[in-house]
Amino acid sequence: MDRQVRVEAQAMPIIETRELRKVFRSIKRTPGAGGALRTLFSREYVDKVAVTGVTMALDAGELVGYIGPNGAGKSTTIKMLTGILVPTSGEVRVAGIVPYERRSENARNIGVVFGQRSQLYWDLPLIESFELLRAIYDVSAERYRANMEYFTQLLEMDEFLATPVRQLSLGQRMRGDFAAAMLHDPKVVFLDEPTIGLDVVAKEAIREFIADINRERGTTFILTTHDLADVERLCRRIVLIDHGRLIFDGAIETLRDTYGTHRTLVVELCEPEQHVEIEGAEAELTTPTLARFRFDRRTMSAETLVRRVTERYPVSDISIEEPELESIIRRIYREGYVAEPDTEPATT
Amino acid sequence: MTFRIAPYREFAKKAFAREATYRMEVFTNIGSLLVRLYLMKMVWTALYAQNTAPAGVPLHAIITYTTVALLMSLVLEIDGTRIIRDRVREGSIATDLMKPINLPLYFFSDGVGQTLLHAILIVPSLFLALFIVHVDVPPPLALVAFFFSFALGYVVNFLLNFLMNTVAFWTLETFAIQLIVRWVSDLLGGQIVPLIFFPGFLQKIVLALPFAAVYSTPLLIYTGTIQPSDYARAFASQLAWGTGFAILSTFVWRGALKRVVVQGG
Repeated sequence: MDRQVRVEAQAMPIIETRELRKVFRSIKRTPGAGGALRTLFSREYVDKVAVTGVTMALDAGELVGYIGPNGAGKSTTIKMLTGILVPTSGEVRVAGIVPYERRSENARNIGVVFGQRSQLYWDLPLIESFELLRAIYDVSAERYRANMEYFTQLLEMDEFLATPVRQLSLGQRMRGDFAAAMLHDPKVVFLDEPTIGLDVVAKEAIREFIADINRERGTTFILTTHDLADVERLCRRIVLIDHGRLIFDGAIETLRDTYGTHRTLVVELCEPEQHVEIEGAEAELTTPTLARFRFDRRTMSAETLVRRVTERYPVSDISIEEPELESIIRRIYREGYVAEPDTEPATT
Repeated sequence: MTFRIAPYREFAKKAFAREATYRMEVFTNIGSLLVRLYLMKMVWTALYAQNTAPAGVPLHAIITYTTVALLMSLVLEIDGTRIIRDRVREGSIATDLMKPINLPLYFFSDGVGQTLLHAILIVPSLFLALFIVHVDVPPPLALVAFFFSFALGYVVNFLLNFLMNTVAFWTLETFAIQLIVRWVSDLLGGQIVPLIFFPGFLQKIVLALPFAAVYSTPLLIYTGTIQPSDYARAFASQLAWGTGFAILSTFVWRGALKRVVVQGG
């Protein structure tokens, strides 16, 4: 039984795109007054390829980071998945539905949260927005009560449910927006910069909420963000897009293994030193008692390095720094993705 | 998918509640109406003192006309579809499109909600207006016909606004166009001066324009210029404009949507 369900789930991913492509066409404008006049009569078009050849499949319950620099085609893809943009070519399916053909039906399966844009009623108490959404999605009274109870507790909303949205802090508003997006139990939720502008505490609350819903309800999340800490904390898988093309789709670990060939051993020394040196590692003294050794883990194991260090210096504490996802991604944006990069990025 | 009325009733309720939060604006509306009414009374009285009654309309009739027109404007000046313009400019139209709702119907319900709040204002406004002017009351049949005609005019007015606000999908800004259309429609719609005061040839034209369907037709029914025998014709003309604009709106809306889903807004 269990196996059968799994086979079915594999046979039909919740989100599926094949060779998805979107080209925006606009009228070519020639500068100057004469040019403006010419534009009026002759129609020359310029095509801008926003997304091309994007093929991906997401299984139900996945939490995927959809990453790329500004203008890479992220929001164009999301718009096609939500059905408000018609692809130029290629296929797209969300929960078995072609979004742009049946936008309204698709809308019932999805939820959206935009960090920069609220879908709450500005002038009215927060609770009224929920009641409105209840009517829009036809949520049963029972389900509404259960969800409201759950979200109110998880997001600690009880103290501001009766406050007009315009008087809420950004953190409170975002929590309201999350509850609003989840009220109709969507199968897929698109998050666009959900933690932008939030303080660390609010960020953590939102991240915890996403992880909780994903675990408890098996909701699929696509997280679009520039804050890679969100991705590191929440996602196992990331999809990288640049210039409209998919350049990486896989586990964050794979990316780290490919790019993060170097580690740093941070050592606290018992006695101050003027100079430190270890064979096979780049040494650096941050303070007289704090040394950093950068090493390539392909040529030397951490164990060897630790042994060499402890043999030579009295050590009070030791830790290993992993490369941050952010520096890896930054390098890929700059150089493009290659499966076997041969040089290590300069420390930044 | 089956159609459910519940979301739209809820939209109207929320719009009503939202408008009610702007209490100052509500009071200013009544105040400005009373000032305008007083000025109109002075102007008409002065004009009538120097001239013979135009088109055989006595002073008390013209003052009744003006008062009723101003009370109607409390409802008709509500641009219920300005949220289209706002939401297109903010880009939040995208989130609206991600909901399982019929957007034009959503805008309409929102407009109705706003209108209902302002319609309530008619009662205190009329009460206060009676301190300034005397208002003639027509026979019951004319009164019923007036309200029916007013409702038709409301729909025509709504569709005119809808069309204008939908232009925002192409231009983002519609304020200037709307201001011009508002002035033209107030003048040619008979809100300021009864259309029967226009000279013969011009009168035929303005009465044939859609603007007349908004203010002039219900008002002329109220004042008895349009007799019961002509009610059917008056309603038919309003209905024709309403239907015409509704069809036009459908096409414009489709074009607007296509623009969003193909061009990405």
